[in-house]
Amino acid sequence: MDVLLQFSTLEAAIRLAIPVALAALGALVCERAGVLNLGLEGQMLAGALAGYAAAEATGSPWLGLLAGIVVGLLTGLVLSVLLVTLRANQVVTGIAFTLLAVSATTYVFQLQYSIGGVTPRVNRIGMWSLAVLVLVAVAVLWFVLERTRFGLTVTAVGEAPAAVDALGYRVDRLRWSALAICGGLAGLGGAALVCGPLGLFIEGVTGGRGWVALALVVFAGWRPFPAVAGALLFGLSDAVQLRLQGTATSIPYEVFLALPYVVTLVALVLRARSSRAPAALGVPYVRGAL
Amino acid sequence: MTATTVPALTRPNRNPLAAVVARAGADGLVTAVLVPVGAVLAALLLGAVLIVSEGENPLAVYWEVVRGVLWEPRGLSNTATAATPLVLIGLGYAVAYRAKVFTIGGEGQYLVGAVASTAWVTAAGVRDLPGPVLVVTGIVVAVVAGALWSGLAGWLGVRFGASIVISSLMLVYVADALLQWAVRDGIRDPESFIPASRQIGDATLPTIPRLDTHLGFLLAVVLVPVVGVLVARHRGGYRIDALGFNRSALDANEVDSRRIVLLVMLVAGAFAGLAGFTETAGVNGRLGAEASVGFGWQAIIVALVGRLQPVGVLLAGLGLAGLTIGFEVSQRTYDLPSSLVGVITALIVVFVVVGDALAVRGREGR
Repeated sequence: MDVLLQFSTLEAAIRLAIPVALAALGALVCERAGVLNLGLEGQMLAGALAGYAAAEATGSPWLGLLAGIVVGLLTGLVLSVLLVTLRANQVVTGIAFTLLAVSATTYVFQLQYSIGGVTPRVNRIGMWSLAVLVLVAVAVLWFVLERTRFGLTVTAVGEAPAAVDALGYRVDRLRWSALAICGGLAGLGGAALVCGPLGLFIEGVTGGRGWVALALVVFAGWRPFPAVAGALLFGLSDAVQLRLQGTATSIPYEVFLALPYVVTLVALVLRARSSRAPAALGVPYVRGAL
Repeated sequence: MTATTVPALTRPNRNPLAAVVARAGADGLVTAVLVPVGAVLAALLLGAVLIVSEGENPLAVYWEVVRGVLWEPRGLSNTATAATPLVLIGLGYAVAYRAKVFTIGGEGQYLVGAVASTAWVTAAGVRDLPGPVLVVTGIVVAVVAGALWSGLAGWLGVRFGASIVISSLMLVYVADALLQWAVRDGIRDPESFIPASRQIGDATLPTIPRLDTHLGFLLAVVLVPVVGVLVARHRGGYRIDALGFNRSALDANEVDSRRIVLLVMLVAGAFAGLAGFTETAGVNGRLGAEASVGFGWQAIIVALVGRLQPVGVLLAGLGLAGLTIGFEVSQRTYDLPSSLVGVITALIVVFVVVGDALAVRGREGR
């Protein structure tokens, strides 16, 4: 397995880890606040399309990233209304949102680009700039979650919302903020996928990376740095997969195709019992209800 | 559970869990009818806005959709054919979702069912068996394969505590890789230029006369009341509903909830696997690399819009299939993106979710 040790493989691993890492960081904030956001895949997809459209229109992939964040924030707002204000079932809502995002991005993309034929590639941001972005994001997120009043309150809202409510904090506002941060990061992740080394949007471009990110949050035990490490694990298996596809081995290449998802599944299974989920995860908060 | 806490049972059944289920399911008309109908209308309204923004007349487009289903030659039979996998997979999802076991891996179970059954009916020695034998054994293989694939996600859930939503979804990607290998190498037709299995030959499902669709549709329709009776009258059905409403009530009755989770996962996979066979043997005739067309995703919508009721799943499946077929027809006349119907159906399920939440809020008044 010397393919693992080649520098280019490691480089590819980082490149492939970046979008997943950003989305996983977003999901982590959300779940710390007690909201299970299964719309993550859809948010990434929306961010990816927005990022592509903005980068294609302006020529600047950095504006693409910005557009990804903005659209991600908007999707976070929509989900806030559904999950926090209306207290809809979090599992079903997330799945429904992702289904809608898949159709809606395909629709918009078909309208904007498919008719004209070949979709243009956008200018791309170098991998290392994006890697620095992820490092900044994880460091800031760690600091906010572990060292600021806001972060600690967000975490408390995921554990004991009634207690936080009793202390005079607004549970719904805290959860809205968490969903907004999550949306922004997921949208950024999607945009980073498209405005990064890929430079292209295709239908369903995220390929389940939002779901992978959700699994990685469990793997990471809801902690920021391990979440990024988990993303690197996914990126590495994805990179190995891409490299081995081209080489002649006795193993069918479809095994490698499945590899990133199997690795994610194994990571999820290994850590599911030992890492403790926020106590109020997935439970809408109703004042006075037990 | 003592007699004083048990309200009048709506069903003459001595099962103590029936009380839990009856109480929780008593909100009737609003969620059963008002929410889905309202959601469909709201989605069609938004769809109309999209159609207007494309410069077409929404009434004319929708009329063409209706005409395409009802009066176009083969409109109804195409709808029945398109509804078959949706109803089958949707029935399985409905059973699982009633127990609040949220699997979304139907697409993968569908593919595994298709691969396994196609491998079986095209295998050397087997493919020369008489047609009815091939169909029956093909169904059995598909059902078992789908059930095992789904059961794997269920087992990872109950044994290791892995989220079934995520594990069932990861297995979709693994199943697609399996399909790619199968048609490229494993069960490839040596005569074929493109990656594909052999023609399934005598395993082809017979056409139902008059209805002009394949046997799978009849199977789906017959399974609707079967599932209905099982979930409404059978002890296992009560337990499934009870798991969805109140897990601790099950524990109090010394029912192992993990076994029910596994059971509903097996059922969900069995239905999806079956759909994999009926689609291959009834429509496609062989298995190709493009077998994953999204029935497993659309069936989630069908199950939710069908209110997790077997009859509702049938209606929702026919409705969604009708929309799909009708929009295909209308696209011949009107210049609309093919993905529009996907947006409308996804909007329906989003509005159903919103409607449910609003109904609960209205009922509880907070």
